Amino acid sequence: MSIILDHVNYTYGEGTPLETAALKDVCLQIPDGQFVGIIGHTGSGKSTLVQHLNGLLKATSGHIYFNGEDISDKEYDRKKLRSRVGLVFQYPEHQLFETDVFTDVCFGPKNLGLDRRETELRAYDALRKVGLPDSLFYQSPFDLSGGQKRRAAIAGVLAMKPEVLILDEPTAGLDPRGRDEILGQIKELQTTTGMTILLVSHSMEDVAEYVDRIIVMNQGSVMYDGVPREVFAHYRELESVGLAAPQVTYILHELRDRGLDVDAAATTIGEAADTVMRALGRSSGPGERQIRTNA
Amino acid sequence: MGIVKASDVVYEYIRRDEEGNVEGITTAVDKVSFEIAPGEFVAILGHNGSGKSTLAKHINAILNPTEGTVWVDGMDTGDEDRLWDIRQTAGMVFQNPDNQIIGQVVEEDVGFGPENIGIPTKQIWERVEESLRAVGMYEYRKHSPNRLSGGQKQRVSIAGVLAMHPKCIVLDEPTAMLDPSGRREVIRAVRGLNQVEGVTVILITHYMEEIIHADRVFVMDQGKIAMEGTPREIFSQVERLKELRLDVPQVTLLAYELKKRGVSLPDGILTPQELADALTGQKRGQS
Repeated sequence: MSIILDHVNYTYGEGTPLETAALKDVCLQIPDGQFVGIIGHTGSGKSTLVQHLNGLLKATSGHIYFNGEDISDKEYDRKKLRSRVGLVFQYPEHQLFETDVFTDVCFGPKNLGLDRRETELRAYDALRKVGLPDSLFYQSPFDLSGGQKRRAAIAGVLAMKPEVLILDEPTAGLDPRGRDEILGQIKELQTTTGMTILLVSHSMEDVAEYVDRIIVMNQGSVMYDGVPREVFAHYRELESVGLAAPQVTYILHELRDRGLDVDAAATTIGEAADTVMRALGRSSGPGERQIRTNA
Repeated sequence: MGIVKASDVVYEYIRRDEEGNVEGITTAVDKVSFEIAPGEFVAILGHNGSGKSTLAKHINAILNPTEGTVWVDGMDTGDEDRLWDIRQTAGMVFQNPDNQIIGQVVEEDVGFGPENIGIPTKQIWERVEESLRAVGMYEYRKHSPNRLSGGQKQRVSIAGVLAMHPKCIVLDEPTAMLDPSGRREVIRAVRGLNQVEGVTVILITHYMEEIIHADRVFVMDQGKIAMEGTPREIFSQVERLKELRLDVPQVTLLAYELKKRGVSLPDGILTPQELADALTGQKRGQS
C-alpha cells in the first residue's frame, strides 16, 4: 500500500513551440501514513507533481502506482481514485458555493452516490475533524472568517474519506494562529487515522515543524529527498534555487560562527533551544518541551 | 499634518441574508485614529478579520469611513472631486500579483497608470524606466509578465504603482503567495523605496520577520489598534501577541524559549546578531 512514481515525465504543450518539460524522470515512493512536505520555488513542478497523484494530469511517460495498481491503465477507475486521493487546492475557500457549510461539505460524499445518512455522518465527522464548531454548520460559508472558510473547504475533501490527503499551500494568507491550528489538525489526522499527507508549502518553518520527510523539487526534478535536518543542511544549495532553510537554522549558524558550540542542523525552535542550552553548559529546566529530533 | 491622518474612523457594513433582509451590522473599524509622518515605514499586523485590510482600503479611498475622517496629504478622502489625486498620492498593492497585471509586456503594464492620467509619452518612458529600476526589474522590461515568477510579478505590480509617483504606498499582504526568494525580493524592494526614494510605506503582513525594520507597528484587533510601538516594543510582548493570534520572529521566539528555561536575556531580540551578542556575553559571565 503506497504511492510509487516510476520514471514519470510530463510535458506541457507537447509538439508546440511552447513545449516545456514540467516533470523530468521523477521516481518516488511514498509509504502509507507518512507526512511529506513538498517544497520548491514557483514553477518548480510541485503542483504539477501533486496533480498527477489523483489523475488530474496524465504522465507523458512513466507509471504511477497507487496501492499496486497502475493509474494510467485504461481499466483503472480514475473516478474512484479521486475520492481516494483528496486534493485541496490553493485558496480552496473560493470553491465553497452552497448556502450553508454543512450542505457544502455534503456535496462530495453525495456525488459518490452515498445515501443521505452516510453522507451526513461523513460531513459531520469531517467538520469535527477540522475543528469547526457546531454553531457554524448552518451558517453561510461566506460569513465565516478566512481560517474557518479554509477549514470548511478542507472538510469538503475529508468527507470523501480519502486515504491520501494532498494540500497545496493550505495556510497561505492565514494569520499565525490560524496557520498553527490548521497544521496541528492535519498532523492530528495523520497520527489518529494513519492518513498519508502531502503538504505543498512555501513556509520552510512550517515544513520543519510538522513533516517527517521533505521532497525538494527543482526544474521538474527531485533535488533532495530526506528528513528535514538532512535536507536543510543543504541550505546554500536551497538558496540558489529560490528556497531557504528555516530561520532558526540561520540563527544557529550565526551562534556557531560566534563561538557557541551549537548543533546547527536543528530545524525547530524546540531543538534549537535544546542545543543552545547544552552549548551554554546548562541542563534544561523543568519547563523544557519534549521535542523529538528527526535524527 | 502627516501624509496620512485618520481621526475617529469607524467603518460599518450591513450584513444581509439571501432575501436582502438586514441581519445585523458589523463594525470592521472602530474609532481608529493615527497619524503617519512622510517617509515613515509603518507595519500593520492583525489576525484574519481584525480590520487591517478594511482600514488600509480607506487610505486610497476604496472605502470611505462611516464616521470620522481620513486625510491623505491634507485631502479628505470623502471629497469625491479629489478622488484621483488621492489615489495618485497613495497607491495600493494587493496580495495576488496575477490580479494586478494587465499588460502583455512588463513595460507596457508599468506605463498603464501614467498613460491613463495623460502624462506625455516621453515622461511615461522615463517613469517606466525609473520605476522598474527601483524594484530591480529593468532587465525584464521586454518580457511577458506571464513568464515571471511570483516575486517578479509582484515587483512589477509595485513598479506600476511607483510610476504614478505616489508619496505613499499601501501593501496588503504582498508576499502571502510567494516562495522564500520571492518574499525576500519584494521586501528588499519595499525597503529600498522607503529608504532610498523616501516613499511612505504601509505594509500589512502575516510574516513577522518582514517588519523588524519598520519604524512603527500597529497591531489591530476587533477593529481597533490594540498595540502600537517599535518592532522591539511590540515583539517583547510574546504572550500578548499570541493572544491576538499573532507570532514573533523565530529569533525572538528562540530567545523567549531560552528565557523560560532560565537564561537571562533582554526582551525583544530581533536579529541573530543580537542573540549571539547576548549569549556570548552570558558564556563569558559564567566562566
